[in-house]
Amino acid sequence: MKSKIIFFLSIGILFNSCDDLDLNPLSEGSSATWYSSDQEIRMSLDYLYDLKFWEPNPTQTSIINPRWLDSFSDDLTSRNNLNTMTNGSLDGNSRYVVEQWDFLYQAIAAANLIIEKLENTNSAIAESNVNQYIGEARFVRAVMYSKLIFHWGDVPYIDRTVNIDEAFSLGRTDKDQILQTAFADFNFAADNLPVSHGGVQYATKGAALALKARFALYMGEYAVARDAAKAVMDLGAYELNPDFEEQFLSKTKFSSESIFLIPRSAALNVNMAFWGTIYEPLSRIKGAAYVQPSWDLFSSFLCTDGLPIDQSPLYNPRKPFENRDPRLTATIVEHGTQFGYWKYEPHPDTLTVVHMETGLVQPNTNNRAVLQWGSFNGTAWRKGIDLDWYGDHLTDPDHVIIRLADVMLVYAEAMIELNTIDQSVLDAMNNVRARAYKGGAYPVIAATNQTELRTILRTERRMEMAFEAKRYADIIRWRLADKVLNATDYGLLDPEELREKVVQPGLWFFPGVPPIDENGSADFTALYGQGLIKLLSARSFDASKHYLWPIPSKELLINTNMTNNPGY
Amino acid sequence: MKKLHTNLPKVPCWRYGKHLQPILLAMFLLLSPILAYGQVATVTGTITDDTGDPLPGVNIVLKGTSSGTLTDINGNYSLDVPDENAVLIFSYIGFTTAEVIVGTQSVIDFALVPDVTALDEIVVIGYGTTKKTDLTGAVGTLSGESIYQRQTIKAAEALQGTMPGVTVTRTDGRPGADPVIRIRGTTSIGNSNPLVLIDGVPSSLNNINPKDIESISVLKDGASASIYGSRAAAGVILVTTKRARSGELEVDYTYEYVSRKPTRLPNNVGAQDYMQFINERNWNDAGNMGSEFPTYDEALIANYPSSHAQDPDSYPNTDYSTFFSDYVPSQRHLISFKGGTESVSSLVSMSYNKNDGFSDNHSYETFTIRNNNDITFNKILSAHLDFNYQNSYEKRENGYPMLNLMRRSPLGLAFWSDGRAANTAFRSDMAKHRLGGTNKTSIDEIRGRFKLDLKPVKGLVISGMVSPSFNFVRGKTHAKAVPIYDLGNPSSVGFASAAATTKVTETRNNSNTMLTQFLANYSYTLAEDHSFSLLGGYENYSVFAEGLTASRDGYVLSNFPYLNLGPLDLRDNSGSANESVLRSYFGRLSYGFKGKYLVQVNARYDGSSRFHQDYRWGLFPSISAGWVASNEPFMEGLQAVSFLKLRASLGSLGNERIGNYPYQSTIAFSNALIYSGTTPTSFQTAFIPQYAVQDISWESTESWDIGLDANFLNNSLQVTVDYFKKTTRDMLLRLEIPRYVGLSNPNQNAGEMYTKGWEFGVLYGNSIGGLQYTVSANIFDSKSIMGDLKGTQFLGNKVKLEGSKFNEWYGYRTDGLFQTQEEVDNSVTLRASTKPGDIKYLDIGGPGGVPDGFINEDDLTLLGGSLPRYQYGGNISLAYKNFDLSIIFQGVGKVNSYKPLHMVIPDHYGVPDFVYGNTWSSYNNAEKNKQAPYPIGGEAGRSHNYKTSDYWLFNGSYFRLKNVIMGYSIPSQIIEKTGMKDLRVYVNLSDLFSIDNRLPGWDPEQDPFSRGYFITKAYILSISAKF
Repeated sequence: MKSKIIFFLSIGILFNSCDDLDLNPLSEGSSATWYSSDQEIRMSLDYLYDLKFWEPNPTQTSIINPRWLDSFSDDLTSRNNLNTMTNGSLDGNSRYVVEQWDFLYQAIAAANLIIEKLENTNSAIAESNVNQYIGEARFVRAVMYSKLIFHWGDVPYIDRTVNIDEAFSLGRTDKDQILQTAFADFNFAADNLPVSHGGVQYATKGAALALKARFALYMGEYAVARDAAKAVMDLGAYELNPDFEEQFLSKTKFSSESIFLIPRSAALNVNMAFWGTIYEPLSRIKGAAYVQPSWDLFSSFLCTDGLPIDQSPLYNPRKPFENRDPRLTATIVEHGTQFGYWKYEPHPDTLTVVHMETGLVQPNTNNRAVLQWGSFNGTAWRKGIDLDWYGDHLTDPDHVIIRLADVMLVYAEAMIELNTIDQSVLDAMNNVRARAYKGGAYPVIAATNQTELRTILRTERRMEMAFEAKRYADIIRWRLADKVLNATDYGLLDPEELREKVVQPGLWFFPGVPPIDENGSADFTALYGQGLIKLLSARSFDASKHYLWPIPSKELLINTNMTNNPGY
Repeated sequence: MKKLHTNLPKVPCWRYGKHLQPILLAMFLLLSPILAYGQVATVTGTITDDTGDPLPGVNIVLKGTSSGTLTDINGNYSLDVPDENAVLIFSYIGFTTAEVIVGTQSVIDFALVPDVTALDEIVVIGYGTTKKTDLTGAVGTLSGESIYQRQTIKAAEALQGTMPGVTVTRTDGRPGADPVIRIRGTTSIGNSNPLVLIDGVPSSLNNINPKDIESISVLKDGASASIYGSRAAAGVILVTTKRARSGELEVDYTYEYVSRKPTRLPNNVGAQDYMQFINERNWNDAGNMGSEFPTYDEALIANYPSSHAQDPDSYPNTDYSTFFSDYVPSQRHLISFKGGTESVSSLVSMSYNKNDGFSDNHSYETFTIRNNNDITFNKILSAHLDFNYQNSYEKRENGYPMLNLMRRSPLGLAFWSDGRAANTAFRSDMAKHRLGGTNKTSIDEIRGRFKLDLKPVKGLVISGMVSPSFNFVRGKTHAKAVPIYDLGNPSSVGFASAAATTKVTETRNNSNTMLTQFLANYSYTLAEDHSFSLLGGYENYSVFAEGLTASRDGYVLSNFPYLNLGPLDLRDNSGSANESVLRSYFGRLSYGFKGKYLVQVNARYDGSSRFHQDYRWGLFPSISAGWVASNEPFMEGLQAVSFLKLRASLGSLGNERIGNYPYQSTIAFSNALIYSGTTPTSFQTAFIPQYAVQDISWESTESWDIGLDANFLNNSLQVTVDYFKKTTRDMLLRLEIPRYVGLSNPNQNAGEMYTKGWEFGVLYGNSIGGLQYTVSANIFDSKSIMGDLKGTQFLGNKVKLEGSKFNEWYGYRTDGLFQTQEEVDNSVTLRASTKPGDIKYLDIGGPGGVPDGFINEDDLTLLGGSLPRYQYGGNISLAYKNFDLSIIFQGVGKVNSYKPLHMVIPDHYGVPDFVYGNTWSSYNNAEKNKQAPYPIGGEAGRSHNYKTSDYWLFNGSYFRLKNVIMGYSIPSQIIEKTGMKDLRVYVNLSDLFSIDNRLPGWDPEQDPFSRGYFITKAYILSISAKF
């Protein structure tokens, strides 16, 4: 019967359509077979170069400072706003704390897996390659642990893959112990990584030594820092960029001064688009460029005679950019000079500016007399920012993790702290300073007294490294944070008052010279007392706890072996 | 023409199902020998429903005999009667059976009255149907008519408030948003979405034409659902679509016009108050030192109204609600054709629905076609061939424009008065939403279903079914650069944030599914007392999905949204694919004795490709029993009780929906830039993102249910009560592992959860004179407690830990606001910079549970469940002659709701009007500060005061008038000449008002955490004509 034929036919179709139940991922790799060839190891190692591990601001959902560590320091001010760190409310849920913790450990896990696979499997990978691969992974692991112990002190230490039960049984390992393993990792990397690569620019011997030097210094291991820094300088593989300003611009790619960096590329969709609006110089997007250099940083730059502003006869508070270390105008926009398409002028009587290309006269919106939320302290960032930041914001400067000038100052500082001051210390510092003066006459550092030289070093470091996310670590390790992060931040008076009390009496720009202390910090309280400047914000830092960050709350809530840092 | 339910009072009843009875009866009658007596007269007439529509297929029997007939397609009949004393019995499913004495009449026209209390209803259950009286599990049913009547954009929304135990939550008023359905609360930490089957094929309720729905059955308990095994843990929704019947011929056209409006909108204070408050805020942050006008100077604030009047560009005061339409229209056309002969019957329906959005660049459209065909070859073989196509098309703006209403400064300005996008501070994103291009998603779904039924012997039906579906999702994001302008400058000075370049992103995702099914159903009745029914089946369901995304950025031209026109150097693309297969064997045995004792046993054996082969197969058995006490002899005397049944069931269900390859640690790929020589080069990178547990397998839910169905007063009062308990074991969850493992949280079979709950439904229907009325109400409650989870799971401010409720609020306990510095100094505080006006957290814990003088993680505690309790719904329906009226309401009796930061914080992004003037303030006197409901303003307090705590919890219960639906049928005399059979006009007012305790501007259903659209009310007018 026909119907029966159809019926059995359909039954046949049904049973033939049985699908295989053993299915494997189609568009992802399987971990069972991975890590067995050079290519697979290379791809796994390349993951460690992801920018997120090196400059973590992955979510980009709110306007926070990309150089976010700077926003925790006394170098930055953003109108009269503070943040979680500067208003003293840091806790185990603070975004920076949680994100840093997560990213550092993610990189460690990825590095551990590679090391473990390479050490434990007899694969087809050549012995020489194995050591270089392990070197790269151990380099990254060392950097991540160094950052962890610097911010948190004792942290859980993992150097292999762990199962869940093992993970829960872990507590915190002594930071000194971790530091030693990090040094071992750095040493292995330095021994096994080449000084330079022919093709793809992976981490080098220099990178391992330079970052070892940095973290050794941060952790007070001055002799280690000295030796590593000296080893970098002796490699001869790096040289200072002759033009300080150019070093930081987006057009400067792979500078010979940069020891380790992660590139950005607008063409490859890695850019600073989101952050561009925040720093856009003299922003016409009114009020967006609100992250500004603080007056404290402004005042810390020395005069061309090498003296701080309160001692130098060359300093004129009415013309605060004159006779200053050239790095001042390379870092902070000098009033009346071109920046972007306009002249930068926060003077309350400069109500219009002229667009330099179109000739169009426009309201000077960076001036609070024109716009209420113009610059609150009359400063703007210049370092690294040029016309490339305009318009589409697809700016792609290198993310430089460490550069030669930093290493030279690390060397000098380590030597000063060891009190083994010799000509090499002065040479290192003078070379850095001389470069800023582009080979011209500069105030040569000649002091040999430890205390005196320490002050000079700290000021030099602040001038050289401003806006490179180094200041926060410096004030933490110098134990200056409880002083400078409890300081008050000042700015310009409101326009009418400003005209009346500062401009008309001829006191523009700074109505006086603040005293500078031995750490290079300016004290504006007297000027505030005279009613000549405005209080913007009062920072708050609790020395009893804020020198270390809190352990992320979730770690404490799920794991009874975890303890928090004191005070949290 | 037959209109089965159209004019029934529109009850959220769980009673109207699929009606097979007339066909069976008709067949029986056709086959039975007709006995002829001495015939004295012939009676003819037309049988209609209460609105005058003719009813075909009405059964007419001469009382006391087996002779009878059926009405024809026009409701006409003709029957020979023996004498004047003869009595005719008119019966038709869904209508009250009527008896008429013939007397001397030769023409008897009769209008049947709908029976709101039908008991013979056939209910769709897993892989079959059963009589409602024979049900042993907890099954809720709903007629397609009552779903359509609600006139919601998505069919799922119409389930809201209709039956106990079924919760539908709208969180978002966006026209394309899909509501969330939960059956008997939450079953699992993972996926708690019920399995939706349309005519037996896995699908969703999102794009189905509501007029295509014949009925919906909701399988709520373990016994009813366990035939669906591994996917049934969260309940099963069975949708049966309409089909044509033989002898039918009808064209039906309906037009709806809808006008929508947000129920409520949050409001922020205007510019002057805003600046005042921001100054206070910043002054607070500076320790109340320095100027009291730290940000906006005094003169500016004082002169603002006049400055604004003179120069609104420099002194904006933006009211964001002006960017949104007050009312937006939408319309729907529905047309269907039904026709059938003895061998072929066919239904074709089409619908088109278009909704505009509240902002420019937003619209949502759906288009559906369905064609259901039934072919009867002979008594043994029949075939069913269905085809349906659905398309939905949503156009959205880039971003979430409604956020502007919540979180935007009045000093923001999107456009200068000359219309150009402004470059001001605090500018809103409106320029981006209006000019920044669109994001379009079009979903096409094509599904076929071919089913062959073979009835080789009596009682045995063997079916084979093949149903492929093809799903195509096309997305096109055309993000346009939005140049912004300064006043007086004709050339652009930059771009709106996140709109600096023109970028085209195309996505293509397609998935195919294939369901093959083989069923054998055998029913047998032994000696009239013992009825057996046996089902065996096999099913194979496979899913394959793949997708790709391609984009180009930096377009020079902004009007050509195609990839070929983009620059070559900013290209990006990616792809993905996955597949899964589920294979199942299942069976069911039902036994009934004299309609009194009913037992059913189900089992399903499922194998899923999602698990490792050693942990792949799972068995899901269930048993249920019913006792129809009212059929016992001893109950016969109780006239008041017309029906009484006790039910009990126990079943096991599973859940496998946890990603496609959860047991394997997969390598993910990404990209990193490294210099190659001196050129930044992108290298593909590989890493393991997630920790994997190899022995991962099913999660299982064991559930039992005790129920009672009781009808009183000749079935006019019906009561259903259920008590249930669910235990979910081996819950597939992502437990928190220490973050320092460096991998994301793994899925594992770790948790246990216990859910207890009850449901109660009551319905009363009757008529007084010509007025028919039905009143029904239902209420449902459930509570889920977490058992041993082998860890804890956090979800922002909620937690799941052993002993907690499901998603319980987790935070600090508080004791109001600090009033004085002295009080601060004498208290334990969360941070050193705590000030008067900040929230006072309580030190309740420490190591060992003893307060330790610190406020930290030890003081976090459970603050009460976040899930709604005592969810109720109800309906009052009235019908009088050509008029009918339904009032539907719905609500939640108790819920701990939360006021998240963005609702209550006054900051640069806006100062909510209900917060302004109600914060603790240094300007207030002590008395006023004691009454202040909101903490002191300030950035310093931001992270402090808005931590999860009981300070921000409130009672979120609400009562909502869902719908008021008024209908009128134009009398048939008036429309007769036009050839129309029926013409009806409806007015439906939906979401008119609610009674609740929310913050001003917030709808009780609005998810305060969502960034979406505001819940809308709708005024709907519809006209429906039948030919």
